[in-house]
Parts: sequence; C-alpha cells; structure tokens
Amino acid sequence: MSGARPEDYTLAEMMCIAAARLLPSQGNALAGLGPPILSGVLAKVLYAPDLTFSTEVGAIDWRPDPATATRAPVGIHDELLNVNVALTSDMIESLGTYLMGGNVDVGLLTGAQVDRFGNLNVLCLGPYEQPARRFAGTGGNTEIAGLSGAVVILMPQEPRRFVERCDFITSAGYISGPGARRRAGLRPQGPNYVVSTMGVYQYDTPDGGDSGSCELVLSGVFPNVDPEVVQALVPWPLKLADRIDLVPPPTVEEIRWLRRLDPYRYYLTPGRY
Amino acid sequence: MAERKVMSLPEAVERFVQDGDTVYCGYLMLPMALVMELVRQRKRHLELVGASLVYQATMLVLAGCADRVRTGYIQGALRPGSITERMADGRLRFEDYSNQGIALMLMAGALGIPFIPTRSFLGTDYLAPENQHHTGHYPGYRKWQEMESPFDGQKAVLLPALRPDVTIMHAQRADEEGNIQWWGHKGDARWAFWAARRLIVTVEEIVPSDAVRSDPDRTAVPASRVAAVVHCPYGAHPSGVAGFYDFDYRFVGEVLAPALDSDAAFAAFRGEWIDACPTHDAYLERVKARYGPDALDVLKAEPHRPLLPVDYGFAPWFNLPVREDIP
Repeated sequence: MSGARPEDYTLAEMMCIAAARLLPSQGNALAGLGPPILSGVLAKVLYAPDLTFSTEVGAIDWRPDPATATRAPVGIHDELLNVNVALTSDMIESLGTYLMGGNVDVGLLTGAQVDRFGNLNVLCLGPYEQPARRFAGTGGNTEIAGLSGAVVILMPQEPRRFVERCDFITSAGYISGPGARRRAGLRPQGPNYVVSTMGVYQYDTPDGGDSGSCELVLSGVFPNVDPEVVQALVPWPLKLADRIDLVPPPTVEEIRWLRRLDPYRYYLTPGRY
Repeated sequence: MAERKVMSLPEAVERFVQDGDTVYCGYLMLPMALVMELVRQRKRHLELVGASLVYQATMLVLAGCADRVRTGYIQGALRPGSITERMADGRLRFEDYSNQGIALMLMAGALGIPFIPTRSFLGTDYLAPENQHHTGHYPGYRKWQEMESPFDGQKAVLLPALRPDVTIMHAQRADEEGNIQWWGHKGDARWAFWAARRLIVTVEEIVPSDAVRSDPDRTAVPASRVAAVVHCPYGAHPSGVAGFYDFDYRFVGEVLAPALDSDAAFAAFRGEWIDACPTHDAYLERVKARYGPDALDVLKAEPHRPLLPVDYGFAPWFNLPVREDIP
C-alpha cells in the first residue's frame, strides 16, 4: 500500500475515480487499454458490483474479489483475467458477437486526441501520409467507440489532446455533428462522457446524436478548478452546462482502493499525465 | 504409418517457413522460441499479421526478418524510434486495421470465403480514399470496400480474407499426433489456427492422445491442420501461459524493451540472447544466469483448477432392442 496520503491525490487519480463514479450500476462494460481498466475495476469494487467487466482479448464478465485482489488487470490480457470469469473467448466473440452484436452498454476508452464531437484518435499526429508522430494504432478502440451503447472517455486535460478535430478519426463519436452517426451507418449512442484531469464533460444531444449540436459540454469541475481555465485549454469555444457540478474530491476509501489496485504504478505513474 | 509431427525447433522452422511468407505470429501466449528461431535462421521478407503485434514483431523487424505488417496495433510504434523510422522511410510497409478487423479477416480466411462485412470503421477516417494509398501501402492490395447491404441497405465495410502461409503459436499442450489443446482467453489466435496453410505450434507439454481425446472441448485444431509440434517448455517466455507461468515483467522491462529502442541496442541483444544461444534451453539458461537459478520458478502460476470435473459421458446402449433380425 502506498504511503501517500489521500489528500495528496493526483489529477490522474481523480480522473480514474470520477470516471468510475459515472459508470452505470448494471449492464455490460468493455474496457480498452490503459486507465479505463483501472477505472472499470474500481467501479466494480466500490460502486457497481453488478456491472459486468470485460476486455477484448476474450475475458467476458471477469470479477475481482475485493478480499484477495492483488491488482487490477495489467493490460487487457493479464493472465488473472482467466480466473473468476464467466467466459474466456476470443476476439470474434468479444468484439464481434458481444460488442457488435449489441451486448455492450458502455465502452471505456482513452486515446491520444479527443475532439469537439467526442471522436478519438489513436493512430497519428499530423497527416497520415507524413505524420509528425505515429502511434501504435487502434487495437479495438475503433469498434468499442463506434459500437458500444455508450462511451466514457478518459483523457488528460492537455491542449495537445483536446482538439477541434482529430488529426485522424480512428474512433467515431458524434463524427461531425447531428445526424452524422446515422449517415455513417452507426446507431445513436449515449449518454457519453469525457472525463479529464480537470472535470467532466457531457454532450449537447438529447437523443444520442440525432439532434442538438453534439458538442462536448463541460458539466463538472474537480476541486479548485475554474471552468474558465478549462475553456482556455480547449481550442474551440467550449460550451458550459447551465449548472456546473463541483465533483467531490476522492474519498479515503477511493484513493486506498485505487492505489491498491495499481501496486506497480502501471497506470498511475506520477508524471505520466 | 502416420506422418511424424513432433520435431525440433530448427527442423520445424526450416521445413515450414519460407522467405517471403505471410506469418501469423501469435497473441498473448507468444511463440517466442519460434520467433527467435526465425531470427537464427535469418528468414527474410516475411509479412507479419495479427490483431495486435507486440515485441515479437518488433524483434522480427529489427532482425531484418520482416518488412511488412498487417495489423491493428504496432507496439513498436508507441514511441519514436527504430520502428517509426522504418515506417517513415518505407523500409517497413504497413496496413492499419483493427483488432476486430484482423480477427474477422482471419475468420474469413479460415472459412474459405473471399471477404467479410463488419460495422467497424464506419464514421472514421480509415475509410477516406486518400488513406487507402499511403506511404507504407502494399502495392496492388485493396484494404477495404464500403458498401450497402443488398438485403436491407445497411452500411457495411467489407474486409478481404486473410490466409497466412504459416501460423506460429504457443499452446499449453498437444499429443504426438498433433492435436493442439489450449485454454484461457484467446485473442485472434483461434482463427489463425484455422486460416493458416501451415501451422507450427510449440507446447509446454506433450500428453497422451487419450488425455486429449478425453477432454476434446479444449482442442484448438485437430491434428490434420498441424504441420509441426515442438515440445518447448517456457516457449512463450517472456510472455505468459495460463496455468504454467506469468509474464516476465522484470526481463521485459530491463532486457527486452530497452533492446527494441534502437538498432544498436537490438544488435547487442541479438548477439547475447539469440545468436549466442543455439537452443531455447540455452536462452533459458542465460535468463537464469542473469537473474538467478529461480528466475523462472518465480514466474510459476498458482493453480486454479475447475471446481467441478467435466463429464462427457453417454449411454453405450440406446433403450431400444438391438436389431438382430436384420441380416
């Protein structure tokens, strides 16, 4: 257990905790690589024991045992996902029958960039033809974003990560605005959220992308964060919700669990965000 | 007499992998002993395919064995370095797909159908015409085709079938006939077993055929699909095998990952850990020499056996009279 005091929590920890609080108490969650895994497992341990947790390698409905858990899965493929799990399957089942077949209520994702309409980029910065920076690629990000019933995105609040339009949309959110998902052949989706290291965003659409502006709307801020500071960090005129919630700081229990689930600081290495 | 399938690592690679082959090179339980044998035998111009290619693929690219990748994830490109430089200057050609995309393409290859539709990629920039023909593109290869279903007009993306010339994999066990058994989550590997023209599998254990045939749910593919089986304990090291051993984070963090950062670092790694180790056992001895005699023991998995045995029983006789009246 870390010796750090809960009141010394990091913004990355706050992001994971705030995302965990947003997850539905039941239904099926599918978590992509990175902090979404930690957030999903934290939610299962503390708030949503009935929410099923799965990863795309094929582990469907894996359950951490709060009494004996030594870690959250490290990556989507950790061998511990083979124990206390309902089904060990493959990607045709996890990303095909399970996800594309319509069984996933909420996808948990991160990425290199998120844009005004909640699209993600995990492929490259600059033009694909001659990128300024190339990344590993999508893995299952594309299908989890496009095909989940709703999506929660964890994204550090940095100017290079929040952009007007992704340099390359690898993963569809509301694409270019109202109606774009249906035109592309995708179903409506939501309620979606983006959780950053400063606050929580919802989207301006009442019906999963058919109407409204479909833009990100800042709806909550973390302790000591001024909404105008967030606005200044985003390159488009960011809309603010009529009422902006003050997201409560982490509880002692939340911080203790989060640190216990990441004993090697795989997800929460200081300075990573 | 049935064909002999159990053979040594060098024989399996020599006989069944050719320069220029399209190779599915594993997921999760990585066939690391086979990958290092490909390096020892200096295979050339391989194309690597798989949903997510991690350090096994980076090794094959830096060793000069592979010059093309078709995948959803190139771990070696996470940080700027030897892989991104090769992608930028054309030495490594690549086609970006996704995990689901590659899994479906392998499934189509396994099914013997020419293409397969998906709803993935809809609404993304992957489908932009200019992104079909980028710097790293393979000449003459069509990546996908968007279309409307002829039945109900729904939009879909067609992906071409993928048939590897050879699939290399690691699994828990096999029998001498070549029936392969595995368990745990499987990534995209299940369909790579079926899609490949030739299949080479290293296993932790060779077990009697009776044992395999008494628990057939665990069989990945029947022996007729398998070209070669190699008995190779710790053949997936430093990746993990459910029920046997876990991922070797220390080795990957201290030895392997730094070796993949630059060509110079890889040359040193290759000299010490591959070229100077003529067999996989020699490589494992070197792991122990570096980290102590218990270096592999500390990776051993705790047992987690099923709480209830599985029973495949049947009634040997129907409740019908045996027809002795028909000649």
